[in-house]
Amino acid sequence: MRKIIAVIFLIAAVVSCVSVDCPVQNKVETLFVLKKAAGGADTMGIDSLSVWTHRIYYKDKQDTTLINRLCGEKTQFAIPASHTLTEDSLFTLLKDTLGHEWRDTICISKENYPHFESVDCQATYFHHITGVKTTHNGIDSITIQNREVNYESAEHFFLYLKANR
Amino acid sequence: MRVQSISSYISRLTVSLLLLLTVAQHAEGQKMFKLEKDSIPFFRGFALSFDLVGPAKLMLSDYGEYEGALRINLHDQWFPIFEMGLGRANHAKDEITGLAYKTTAPYFRLGMDWNIKKKKHDPYRIYAGFRYAYTNYSCDIINDDLKDPIWRTVSEFGEEDIKCYQHWLEGVFGIDASIIGPFHLGWTVRYKRRLFHKEGDIGNSWYVPGFGINDSDNMTVNFNFIIDI
Repeated sequence: MRKIIAVIFLIAAVVSCVSVDCPVQNKVETLFVLKKAAGGADTMGIDSLSVWTHRIYYKDKQDTTLINRLCGEKTQFAIPASHTLTEDSLFTLLKDTLGHEWRDTICISKENYPHFESVDCQATYFHHITGVKTTHNGIDSITIQNREVNYESAEHFFLYLKANR
Repeated sequence: MRVQSISSYISRLTVSLLLLLTVAQHAEGQKMFKLEKDSIPFFRGFALSFDLVGPAKLMLSDYGEYEGALRINLHDQWFPIFEMGLGRANHAKDEITGLAYKTTAPYFRLGMDWNIKKKKHDPYRIYAGFRYAYTNYSCDIINDDLKDPIWRTVSEFGEEDIKCYQHWLEGVFGIDASIIGPFHLGWTVRYKRRLFHKEGDIGNSWYVPGFGINDSDNMTVNFNFIIDI
């Protein structure tokens, strides 16, 4: 009898490891991957890329920086998605070491869905990307790779910069 | 939104039945399923029981249950049981996340316990058993001023009266001791595995009546006051 009780409690202890699916470290972000026209991974190298957005619905209506001078060997960067805006406008500034600048605007259209995990986890919104547009000063093109923006880490956009910028 | 696959249901069932199989294997040696031939009548009466842990949880936290059960005693060996209760959660606006959660709903369980002691007619019993359980509930999930940390917009997050249901299985291990006359006290430890569920469109239910704080599995303890009738 002692053996059976011990086995039951052992199994119960093993399988009862509850994991609250509270993504404390996770964020709902869109992942941009830098790509060359030939298809390989691109990097900023000695150039730099900054990204910011405009808080048009907040009282100060100021810009807020999302990426500050991305450079080096990094091939991707993450940008948060707004909770409830149907279109996120991102402003980019591409700079080379000679002082040349290229400014672009990326507009991401999306549908927003509230998402709840637990009262102990911060509420958030998931998104379905419906479209993307960009100007073409330093950016050649942008393509959608994954339309669902949630806690899963996925490559959402391929960003192609002009080679002769 | 989380998609539940058939394989996950199978794995849950497998783990749930693991407990029962362990008991069943042991029981084979003790002829658990065979009626012992003695002078004790087959039908030994009913027992009513009330759980004391659920009301204590309601008093000490923001969720809990009121639960009672009707058990049939068949030859002190088999105990078909019907349990029903009222589960309640009222989590006021959370200080950190700002989320409020509210639900109140009944739940039902049907199952069987086996007395796995060698001496079946002792005043003390050790049970192993299972339950199939179901609840149909609606819940409110509200955060009326969810702030976007980047864009600084404020939105009314959540939904009221979200229709949900859940089916689950429980593996039960219990001890029952006769105190005086028809009165017993008993503990049960329950391992719960979710089978099928619907949790609305905005994510997960935080508390499911009868199941507890929600995850795919759960472990709870009941302390029962039992009266033979």
